[in-house]
Amino acid sequence: MKAVKSQLEFLGRHDLECVIIGGVAGALHGSAIPTTDLDVCYSRTSENLARLATALQSVNARLRNAPDLPFLLDAETLHKGLNFTFITDVGDLDFLGEVRGIGYFDMVAEGASSFEVLGYEFKVIALEKLVLAKRTAGRAKDLLAVAELEAILESKTKVGEQ
Amino acid sequence: MKLDKGIEDYFLHPPPGSAAARAVEFGIDLTLTLENLRLTPEERILKLEAHLASIAWLKANARLKAPPKMTAHESS
Repeated sequence: MKAVKSQLEFLGRHDLECVIIGGVAGALHGSAIPTTDLDVCYSRTSENLARLATALQSVNARLRNAPDLPFLLDAETLHKGLNFTFITDVGDLDFLGEVRGIGYFDMVAEGASSFEVLGYEFKVIALEKLVLAKRTAGRAKDLLAVAELEAILESKTKVGEQ
Repeated sequence: MKLDKGIEDYFLHPPPGSAAARAVEFGIDLTLTLENLRLTPEERILKLEAHLASIAWLKANARLKAPPKMTAHESS
């Protein structure tokens, strides 16, 4: 099983303009709920789309929901789409142009935390926004995460008040 | 990583009406969360990685020796 370490190394190695969201963001903030895929909100500037296309080609990315569909992985294709779910040599990677409940990259990146992990610096969605995104997604597993993340958030707020 | 005593107390003894108390009611084991909060972010990722590797190992190595026996209700 390709897991989180390889995925983060992939992200760091290619210096993509993006923010980590989803379960890995939760784990970095302290959540104990396991996750296997890496969810990222990416900037849609033409430079970043070109970098992202090159990065995804290097790990043999295919569409997870249609792996046999002919799919030309280049900046133009990424520009025409928005949210992509890939299966790759480093595991499952989801690249979202928009996060429900939050918005596009600039909104997601606003107030993001910065974490140094495995020798790379990563932007990670702010805990408050992660709670909002998961609440908006509303699946059972998201609501479970919301309960835990709200406790983490409140613990930090309460200690900050002391 | 040394955690603030206030945070330790918050998770070990969730105040009534707090988000931590609601999480416990929802079924979250906050001792696992607290254990994670005591780690650095990198340690959290390495722990997650080790957990996933263990699951993968178990899937690859566990073998069902015999199917579970059906109850009378299931077999009727």
